[in-house]
Amino acid sequence: MIKIEKSNFGTFIQNLSADYSLFAPVGEGQQSAFREVKNAEQINTHIQITQNSPKTVFLPQTEVLFEFSGDDIQSEEKPAKPMFFWGVRSCDAKSLNLLDKVMGQSKQRPDDPAFQDPYWKARFDDAIILTLACNEPASTCFCNWTGGSPFSKDAGDLWAVETETAYLVEPLSEKGEAFVKGLSGYDTASEKDKQSIAKLKKQAESYLQPAVDAETLKEKLPQTWEDPLWDEVSAKCVNCSACAFICPTCYCFDIQDEGKKDKGKRIRTWDCCMFPIFTKEASGHNPRSLARERVRQRVMHKFRYFWEIYGESLCTGCGRCVRVCPVNLDIREVAKQLLEADSAA
Amino acid sequence: MVKALREEVKRLFEEKKVDLVIGWGKGSLPMTATPIFINKAEDAERLIWDETCSNNLAVYLTKDKRQLVKTDQKIGIVVKGCDGRSLVLYAVENQIQRENLVIIGVPCAGVIDKKKVLKHIEGKEVLSASFEADRMTVEGRGFKTEIAKCDVLSDSCLNCNHPNAPVFDVFIGEPRKSDSVEDVYPDVEAFEKLDSEARWKTMVEAYSKCIRCYACRNVCPSCYCTECFVDQNDPQWIGKSPEITDTLIFHLGRNLHVAGRCVECGACERACPADIDLLKLNRKISKEILERFNFTAGLDINEKPALASFCENEKQDFIMG
Ligand code: SF4
Ligand code: SF4
Ligand code: SF4
Ligand code: SF4
Repeated sequence: MIKIEKSNFGTFIQNLSADYSLFAPVGEGQQSAFREVKNAEQINTHIQITQNSPKTVFLPQTEVLFEFSGDDIQSEEKPAKPMFFWGVRSCDAKSLNLLDKVMGQSKQRPDDPAFQDPYWKARFDDAIILTLACNEPASTCFCNWTGGSPFSKDAGDLWAVETETAYLVEPLSEKGEAFVKGLSGYDTASEKDKQSIAKLKKQAESYLQPAVDAETLKEKLPQTWEDPLWDEVSAKCVNCSACAFICPTCYCFDIQDEGKKDKGKRIRTWDCCMFPIFTKEASGHNPRSLARERVRQRVMHKFRYFWEIYGESLCTGCGRCVRVCPVNLDIREVAKQLLEADSAA
Repeated sequence: MVKALREEVKRLFEEKKVDLVIGWGKGSLPMTATPIFINKAEDAERLIWDETCSNNLAVYLTKDKRQLVKTDQKIGIVVKGCDGRSLVLYAVENQIQRENLVIIGVPCAGVIDKKKVLKHIEGKEVLSASFEADRMTVEGRGFKTEIAKCDVLSDSCLNCNHPNAPVFDVFIGEPRKSDSVEDVYPDVEAFEKLDSEARWKTMVEAYSKCIRCYACRNVCPSCYCTECFVDQNDPQWIGKSPEITDTLIFHLGRNLHVAGRCVECGACERACPADIDLLKLNRKISKEILERFNFTAGLDINEKPALASFCENEKQDFIMG
């Protein structure tokens, strides 16, 4: 584990930005997001969790798949430099791995490019993610429900902890090992540093609410399909897509052509299961025509379907949807209500 | 006040005057109330009424293909001034059966905009909040701040002349005396003073942040089309991505569709996760309609909406140049 003194942070960041497209949390008025930065002053180190997740860089809201003009088709080149993400929270680092299961299929079908999204892979495969431990989890954080924790080392290529005077960094993956090997002139973390990590970890964990077990919820969900509880929990949802568009793991998209018949571009743009048109069929029939069905879909996808296919929950407990929902539909409350319901099988 | 509200609702259930009551309950976060739907007398205890009750509840009568008003059930609805105005709009536009509604008015001294509070404390994490007459206190890890309530009131409440529902069946407490603000649109005047280029620039800047989540439209009681033009795909009227041209068509289209119908409740602005000042254009149009037609939406259940009626003596200079 190496130690980057805060007094050296500026130089460290400067060097990093020479070799990588460096992304870090940046505050923009009330908003915050991961933006490309060139120096340490641009980074806001006080943001617990950025309003917009790193997903917006890897799976941007809109991206041009190709431009066409007559028979000529042009596709964007691979980014020149690999990306380095500084200060990703462990839930967000995990969200990228979850998205990779779908978009990259690196685990499911590593040898079958037909199922791997080249646009995603061009960005994600070479990127280095530095996971920064959360010293002060927010009141909306519930990563502990879905297998995470503020000091989790489960995702990312590097792991760092911020102490009073320094950042302590250790590798988590091969990419991370190689990165650390390439650094020189940094001290190794001392025994005292390790003690302060343990202390910070303990404190951070004490800020979290007791966990609800997502696996039990997954077992329970199939029985709730017809439960009137869905009417109750969905009653106040106005079916916008604030929750999904802000979510680090929602990945649904639409593909559209923009421009004229013989000249234009094909874009991929986020879509959302909360929109009525999402499931509207050509006949006009809509299998999910009411809020009840759409809310059920979102919850089922997060806590059941994804688990059934990929073996874990699609919610990382980042709490973003809890913060932005205009009617305070809190997914934690929904989960608790569902667990408590005595639905018939 | 809250006690009286709960007792009234309890009575309504006991006397079988209502099957369902829509009101506000305590939310899961500090400074946050949440819409609740109650169907039995004992649940009246869950109702609250304070400066966090910012959602315009009228929206639930038209949302989700009007599920709630399709049946003959009697619905009680707790309303502050602007929610009450939305109900007047619904009655005028034949969206509700007035006799199936029990309108429960509450006196409103303004609701807060959480985003303003967060701005005030520079985004720090609020763990608890409490309110007094003209102040609020927010607390988090390692800080405690007092904020004047007027600094964090929703923009919609700053120059409000209609704190009480214009039409109601029961009123809890005393209707609040209106402040009789004369200059209702000072915010709009500043915008009007800009030249057209500067106005356009302000708008492009503001709306570029839009992520097209439609929270603004979906919390808006005046936006109740069963299928919004932006959701149609046969034909598809506008592009789906948040490209500025399409985004502006969505917003300007919405502005025009709610022209003379917007009750200036500010729900759209408070809902926006991208923090866009959405009220401004709606208020600009409301001001225009007030000046031209001497009309304010949602006040008089017998008056036709400004854009649905025609008088010969109306100013027509916009046509004649
Ligand atoms: S569902 Fe909500 S809490 Fe879960 S990952 Fe998405 S935004 Fe975060
Ligand atoms: S849960 Fe909230 S944010 Fe999500 S669609 Fe419903 S109202 Fe919108
Ligand atoms: S446009 Fe905004 S202010 Fe006007 S009625 Fe709709 S939500 Fe309220
Ligand atoms: S709520 Fe804000 S971000 Fe969402 S569509 Fe409306 S203006 Fe855009």
